[in-house]
Amino acid sequence: METESRKKTILIALIVSLICSVLVSVAAVKLRPIQERNKELSKIENILELSGADYKDVDLFEVYKKNITPSLVELKTGRVLDETEYNEFLNVRDFDIKKNSEDENYGRDVSSLPGVPKIKRAPRYMPIYFVKKNGELKKIIFLIYGKALWSTMYGFIALGADLNTIEGLTFFEHGETPGLGGEVDNPRWKASWRGKKVFDDLGELKIEVIKGKVDLNSMSAKHKIDGLSGSTITTRGVSDIVRFWLGPEGYGEFIKKRKEAR
Amino acid sequence: MGKYSKIILDPLVDKNPVTFHILGICSALAVTSKLETSIVMSLAVLFVLSLSNLSISIIRNFIPGSIRILIEMTIIASLVIIADQLIKAFAFELSKELSVYVGLIITNCIIMGRAEAYASKNPPLQSLFDGIGNALGYSCVLIVVGGIRELLGSGKILGVNILRPINEGGWYEPNGLFLLSPSAFILIGLLIWVVRTLKPEQSEEE
Amino acid sequence: MRFLLKILNSNRTHFEKSGRLQRLSPLFEATESFLFSGSEVTSSSPHVRDGLDLKRMMIIVVIAAIPAVLMAIYNTGLQANLATSKVALGDFNSWRISLMEVFYLSADSKCFISNIFHGSLFFFPVYIVTVVVGGAWEVLFALIRRRDINEGFLVTSILFPLILPPDIPLWQVALGISFGVVIGKEVFGGVGMNILNPALTGRVFLFFAYPAEISGNSVWVGVDAVSSATWLGDGGVDAVSSATPLSAFADSTLSNIVTWTDAFLGFMPGSMGETSTLACLIGAFILIITGVGSWRIMVSVLIGMTTLSLLLNIIGSETNPLFSLSPLWHLVLGGFAFGVVYMATDPVTAAMTEGGKVVYGLLIGFLVVLVRVLNPAFPEGMMFAILFANVFAPIIDRVFINLNIKRRAIRNGN
Repeated sequence: METESRKKTILIALIVSLICSVLVSVAAVKLRPIQERNKELSKIENILELSGADYKDVDLFEVYKKNITPSLVELKTGRVLDETEYNEFLNVRDFDIKKNSEDENYGRDVSSLPGVPKIKRAPRYMPIYFVKKNGELKKIIFLIYGKALWSTMYGFIALGADLNTIEGLTFFEHGETPGLGGEVDNPRWKASWRGKKVFDDLGELKIEVIKGKVDLNSMSAKHKIDGLSGSTITTRGVSDIVRFWLGPEGYGEFIKKRKEAR
Repeated sequence: MGKYSKIILDPLVDKNPVTFHILGICSALAVTSKLETSIVMSLAVLFVLSLSNLSISIIRNFIPGSIRILIEMTIIASLVIIADQLIKAFAFELSKELSVYVGLIITNCIIMGRAEAYASKNPPLQSLFDGIGNALGYSCVLIVVGGIRELLGSGKILGVNILRPINEGGWYEPNGLFLLSPSAFILIGLLIWVVRTLKPEQSEEE
Repeated sequence: MRFLLKILNSNRTHFEKSGRLQRLSPLFEATESFLFSGSEVTSSSPHVRDGLDLKRMMIIVVIAAIPAVLMAIYNTGLQANLATSKVALGDFNSWRISLMEVFYLSADSKCFISNIFHGSLFFFPVYIVTVVVGGAWEVLFALIRRRDINEGFLVTSILFPLILPPDIPLWQVALGISFGVVIGKEVFGGVGMNILNPALTGRVFLFFAYPAEISGNSVWVGVDAVSSATWLGDGGVDAVSSATPLSAFADSTLSNIVTWTDAFLGFMPGSMGETSTLACLIGAFILIITGVGSWRIMVSVLIGMTTLSLLLNIIGSETNPLFSLSPLWHLVLGGFAFGVVYMATDPVTAAMTEGGKVVYGLLIGFLVVLVRVLNPAFPEGMMFAILFANVFAPIIDRVFINLNIKRRAIRNGN
């Protein structure tokens, strides 16, 4: 009786574990490709949203391939990397901000830089996306991130071919308070960025999110964006993020180089 | 009333797992800021609870007492992982919003509770119906709470504007409290109040 | 008065048992005891031999709140007039200004009567909505539960408008007081049973529901058209429970915006009743000499606040200027004084045991400074501190009661 029940216990445990593990592994393995595709799709969708390309009811991958050229840029020099230089860290397809930041060669300490959006380390290389239509460069999309009130916000900002006019901004990951800082997702507010100028005529970085409403009659209205009401700190965070990444420590060198080249 | 329909209908109001047994509150707070996520969560729980009840009931006479809970946990955990994988594959955007809460169905007391209290003592078909009934009872609460929170919190139902919010050119001033989890606490509390006023026999003895 | 008594007496029969309007008897009772003293007297022992009953206590709190109300009316009018003068006339259309013109008053901040009048036009609509809507809930619950209407609401209804910004939409006032009365009090069983202060519960509801109105940049400024035109837009002084007095201003910069004396007297924008520390001190005086408000609680909140803010002053911080905000400023900014005097001492929600009161007060004092200085999201912490301490009050009391029991047991040699 004693031995039999022990045998039985082990047997049942084995059978149940076996069946369960088979089911779980089958589900995981079979569904993995779909999940991977989803992840990539969602990233592509964010880029396409800013690119202005028509992607409704068509194959996103097709549209993406046709319109978008992803690249990596070395922030310090503003040089666009050649694909031959790609490696485990430098990989535009799934660029890992965290992994790059932490690495001695591919990341650096930025915590003491002025105006840094509360991040400690940042990558030395960042991905950018060239949006082309019929071979002509329309926009460039930059990956930006930084800390606001509660969370690190990750987003893209798109500049026109003049590298001054903002074509759009979107945050694809953040954890700000719904209804307050979370209003960064509000389409109306996002639309208010369109057409704003990042730099003034002298090339000074002027873009800024202000507290309250922009006075439309003022000279600097084209550089300023309305703050989100009731969320001072998220507003300041977004402003810092955009200014940091478009400034000299971010994509500034790249932007300057391209402007000179024209 | 037939035996099976009673098994299904009882947990909807009279023995609702949330408002009567006060189980499964955690996920009811976390995922109900929108109706859509509430529905997906309900479906996930329906999937897990009905199948766990069914499978546990089928093997109930073979499970040795000493490892009863372990076996039940293994089955439930496997089902939850499968549900999580399915949602990640077929409702990716929602899976991001549900984040860890699908995985946390494992810890939802309703599932373990029904396995222990019902499925391990009753035949498969009845256990299946009991699982469906309890999942539906849970769903009722989630959907009511999710609906109210989405409507008051963002003026929408399933993403469609019902009360047009001011910042989209309408008149409705969204109530930010309903986007925060504590509001679900208040709503569930009010729901229990309503149910117990209508059905005084549910109140606990003082 | 005689004439009122006559009416009451002649209608009494309808409300008594088996009368036509028996269901409405709480209404009758409330009217009677509000106007005269009630006809029902406790006749069986034991009696507590003290003139202080619940009704007197509530009345004294209301009296103690009068200085704050007067300052609220005057200062709201003053700030509104100041704000108005900064805007070119005709830039806005406010019914208040139009109404003032009917009485040959202009929005002149130097004119005392104009300030009072303008302020009244802000305060009384909020107050009336509070009384009508909150009162309606009180009556409704009293009727359903067949209980008498309790005077407790008089206090809630006078305190609630004082912790709101003057430009709050009236529908929000109605929602806030409804939440405060129903969820804050009635669900727990009514007056005396509530865990949280009902007025603060109403406010915290509004705070999370409509944060833009109650804590945003436009929190104050009485006149619609100027929402961000004043210096408040730069993060000036704001009502304590409401907001950003505290937003990133060290002592030095703060005094450029408002002088300490003005902040103490209450001549700055903020939630209506909370700006004047002086008015709150007068209220505190009344509460303490009548024994209605606990001085233990008030003093321990002060001690808690002073200790922690001095500690933070010493620690210092390069990135957070609020670390260096001195206790004197903590005292006069925001809702601190108002909260200490009128909210923290609420006998229903505060700790009851004498030792418990000290712990409860210290807890509030610590938490205010903690939230104000260290939490980036909420500039003001008084509301949270008091509600939080409310929740802990029963546990604090329990600990002290148990300690007491143990001590007595030891004393008696058990």
